[in-house]
Amino acid sequence: MNDNELSTAVRESVAGIHSATPVAQIISRGRAVRARRRIPRVAGALTVAAAGTALAVPMLVSSGHPGSHPARIQLDAWTVTKQANGDIDVTINQLRNPEGLQSALRADGLPVNLTFSDTTSNHIRVVQNASCRDYAAGPDVLNAVVHGGSYASGTILVIHPSALPSGVGLNIFVTPDTKYLTLVLSLVHTSRQCTG
Amino acid sequence: MGVRNQQLDFAEFYRGAADECLRTVLVSVGDQDTAQELVDEAFARAWASWRDVSRHPAPKAWVVRTALNTGISRWRRRRREVPVPDLARVADLPAASGASASLVDPQVMAALARLPARQRQVVALRLVLDLDTARTAEVLGIAPGTVMAHLGRAMAALRHDLQPELQQESQS
Repeated sequence: MNDNELSTAVRESVAGIHSATPVAQIISRGRAVRARRRIPRVAGALTVAAAGTALAVPMLVSSGHPGSHPARIQLDAWTVTKQANGDIDVTINQLRNPEGLQSALRADGLPVNLTFSDTTSNHIRVVQNASCRDYAAGPDVLNAVVHGGSYASGTILVIHPSALPSGVGLNIFVTPDTKYLTLVLSLVHTSRQCTG
Repeated sequence: MGVRNQQLDFAEFYRGAADECLRTVLVSVGDQDTAQELVDEAFARAWASWRDVSRHPAPKAWVVRTALNTGISRWRRRRREVPVPDLARVADLPAASGASASLVDPQVMAALARLPARQRQVVALRLVLDLDTARTAEVLGIAPGTVMAHLGRAMAALRHDLQPELQQESQS
């Protein structure tokens, strides 16, 4: 076998592979990238204002989401911003007040069950709300509903409620890892006890 | 360039480059889900910096380098923990065991999986993405001579691994 034949064999070995991600999903995810890049600048502004003024918090909204709708709820630990197209951007910096975050997301029309873990472990111990029933679907469905990840500068989620199938909500479990927050996401059937 | 034109420009780039970048990263990492996740993240970063990336002399190489440099192991898309892929095991899966496995040549993927990571990256960039030696060296941050040495060793190992398979196929 000569080099050309070998090269062809390698190329053809993956020729049947095609990207399954629509460009709109990439662009949406790119928005999350831009959002997380803004965080260090915002943190710098907060440091400057560390004399104790509460005005530093509203500044986070205008700096973080120029031209978008104002954040409905804003706390030090996390922010929730509903975009004009119905998407919801969530930034989590600290594991505090999960009930407040859950309420804010539900108020923005997202059927959601949210849990923060306060245990650090090499293995994720998922605390499942016993009222929640898993919705069986492929990863494509979940990927269409939510993008994001955990980074040193914070945890960013971009949620698309319109992509949720009828009668389905989002289950979010956030747990601290050694350095980052780890997100465990799944889809669940909506119910008053589970997703509000 | 206006925002809308930028988006159209990016969309055109994505449509033309996504498959090739995915295949390149797949050859490098050996697992299709991981490769898709890394490439998606890299393209998202490309979109976020599109003004710069669009002027890059080799935007596809930028995407692949970003994908290879991106660690997204913390990100869990499902409720189960996602194990680090065992390359040899993934590649040895029979084609019938899953939809994604049927899209790759399991023998070639197994042979690639047996290569050291750096050799696999060189093979991916040189043979799948079709970069020249200089650009491959730039992407990987190594000397051009090192690229040639890695490629030479990788080709020898692949030839040794695949020769019997291909001979068998041609005889049957």
